Parts: sequence; C-alpha cells; structure tokens
Amino acid sequence: MSRNSLEKVLYDLSTSGANKKAFSAEPEKFLSRYQLTEEERALITGYKVREIADRGVNTMLTWGFWLQSGRAQRDYMKIMKREEA
Amino acid sequence: MAEIVGGFVVPHNPIMFYEPDAPSAAQKQVVLDAYAATAARIAELKADTAIIIGCDHYILYGTECLPRYVISTGEMDGPVDQLPGLKRAPIACHAELGTHICREGFESGFDWTVGRAMAVDHSVAIPHHYMVKPNAGMKSVAVMLACGVDPYLPMKRAWELGEQIAAAVKSFPGNERVVVIGSGGISHHVGDERMGEVNPDFDGRVLAAITSGDKQAMLGFTDDIILSEGGNGAMEIRTFACAMAAVGAAGGKVVAYEPITEWVTGMGFAELKAAA
Repeated sequence: MSRNSLEKVLYDLSTSGANKKAFSAEPEKFLSRYQLTEEERALITGYKVREIADRGVNTMLTWGFWLQSGRAQRDYMKIMKREEA
Repeated sequence: MAEIVGGFVVPHNPIMFYEPDAPSAAQKQVVLDAYAATAARIAELKADTAIIIGCDHYILYGTECLPRYVISTGEMDGPVDQLPGLKRAPIACHAELGTHICREGFESGFDWTVGRAMAVDHSVAIPHHYMVKPNAGMKSVAVMLACGVDPYLPMKRAWELGEQIAAAVKSFPGNERVVVIGSGGISHHVGDERMGEVNPDFDGRVLAAITSGDKQAMLGFTDDIILSEGGNGAMEIRTFACAMAAVGAAGGKVVAYEPITEWVTGMGFAELKAAA
C-alpha cells in the first residue's frame, strides 16, 4: 500500500493527454505500469477520491483527477464532505 | 552593483481566469486594481528585473523527483498549465542573475536545483502577466519553493533562502534594479473538504507580520497552524517569507485584501519596503 504510487498515477494523468487517453481506453492496462494493489486499482477506476485522499494522497491531485474526467465539481465536494454525491 | 529596490506579495489565483465574474464586480475590481497598482509601483521604482518566487502545484514536478527549491538560470516559459487568456509563452529571463544567485548559493550552503530552460506554472506566470509584462523590457528570474507538495520547505529555510538571494543580488556585477515578488494565496483549501473556506482573521495576521517586517511572527506560522487555520493552499506563504527576507524585512503596507469565497481564496496584496 503506497500513497506514492497512487500519487504517481494521478500526477501522470493530470499532466499528460496521452496518459489520459490511454487510461480512458484501457484503464487496467494503463494501471499495470504501476506498483498498485488490487484495492488501489479499484479506488482509481472507481474514482473513489475520498478514500484516495484518506490514504494521504495530495488533494490537489484528487481534485484534478476528478475534474479531468469531466465529473462535476459539486459532486466532488459532496464526496469529500462524506455526503451522498 | 545590483540592488533590490522593493518587493511585493500577491496572489496567483487561476480560478480568476476560469471564473472571472464569479465574485461581485466590486471585489473583482479591487483585485484587478491591486495588480495594476503594483505594476505602476514597479514602474515608479524604475525596476528592470523581477525575481518571482512561486511554488509548484504538482504540475511541474512529480513523485519521481521533488525539488526543495529551484531557480531559473537560463530561458524560461509558461504557464505549463495554460489558462483562458494566459497561454504558454516564452518569458524574458535574466539568466545571468539567476546563475549568479545559484553559484553564490553553492558557495554558502544552498544547493539550488536549477532550471536551465525552465518551465513555470501559474504561480510565476500570473504575477508576471499582471505586474511584469506591463513594464516593457523587464526580465525575470523564477524561483520555485516546495509549498504545495510535501516534503514542504521549512519556513525558516524559505527565510534563509531570501537572505541568500539578497546577498547574491548585492554582489552581482551590474546595475539592475530588482523587485522581489512573493506569489501565493493566503487562506485557501485546494481539493479538500474545506475548499471554499476563507479565514480573514488568519489572513490579517499574515499581512500584519509582513507589513511590520516581523520575522518571528512570520516564522511562528507553523505548518500545523497554517493547515488548520489557513488551509493546505496557505502553505504558499513560504514565498512571502522568502520575499520578506530578500528585501530585508523592513515592513511595508497592504495594497488590498479581499476574502473571495467564489475564488476560494483570501486574496492579499502588500508592498514590501526595501531595507536601506
């Protein structure tokens, strides 16, 4: 379990269009590059930003990860506040 | 001999570009007027060089390598994170001054990471856009401190770095008139559950420490205090500490302050007097 690898994935997705495209097309294949547990991979593919942040991941990255997927800011805040999105 | 003739602390809020009309027209105007006033003051000071102290937002540097402090020693461009109305472009740089500060630092215990063709993010590009660009012919040196991604640069080290910058400018063999710009929001939360909270009380205390040139008060903002009262974004006040130290912590005056919840930030502007 490593917040470092989680941060690496989110950083790579936030700074590269090619990575975003690869993740969007084949998430599991894209994530196989990284040292992640099965649980961590599920957190990412499920956009579980609250749980990811709870593992110490920088929230600049969780926020960017959410927004780059086209999801709504309002829903992000509900999830971060542990309200129903 | 080059000289630091003044300094500023200003915000670098990218939401201003995405949601320019989110706050009231009056609040927005205060911010735009404040940037214009600082640009005009730079002209009055006859400054020809700006040292802009910014901070990475997990945009420039990744988990592979997280530098503590970086200085531009050659060409420069940005912002990497382009904004509506602020596209990535070359930024006129003062490579010789950046190189000199770096080399002097190596001799005095400051192991700068260097950007020989450095890319900057909005923390440098926004102050450059509003304050430096209106003053034709000015050149810039960019400094990036670890304020947004841990391990954070200790406040004390940010201060020492400012002192090293001051000493190096003084020994630079030129006639440059230099302003130092500390770039950062005061209270703001980025991406966490408190995003949108602004704390005018905290912001007021930060501005008071700056304008009174109070080193102990500034260094008294521990990470715990900053995170609980100002938010993770307020870790950027390290850039203010660095700028204060660079100008000699001679005090100054608030140019403007607005707590703008729509832009999720306490937006503070101050001018720093250069020590005689």
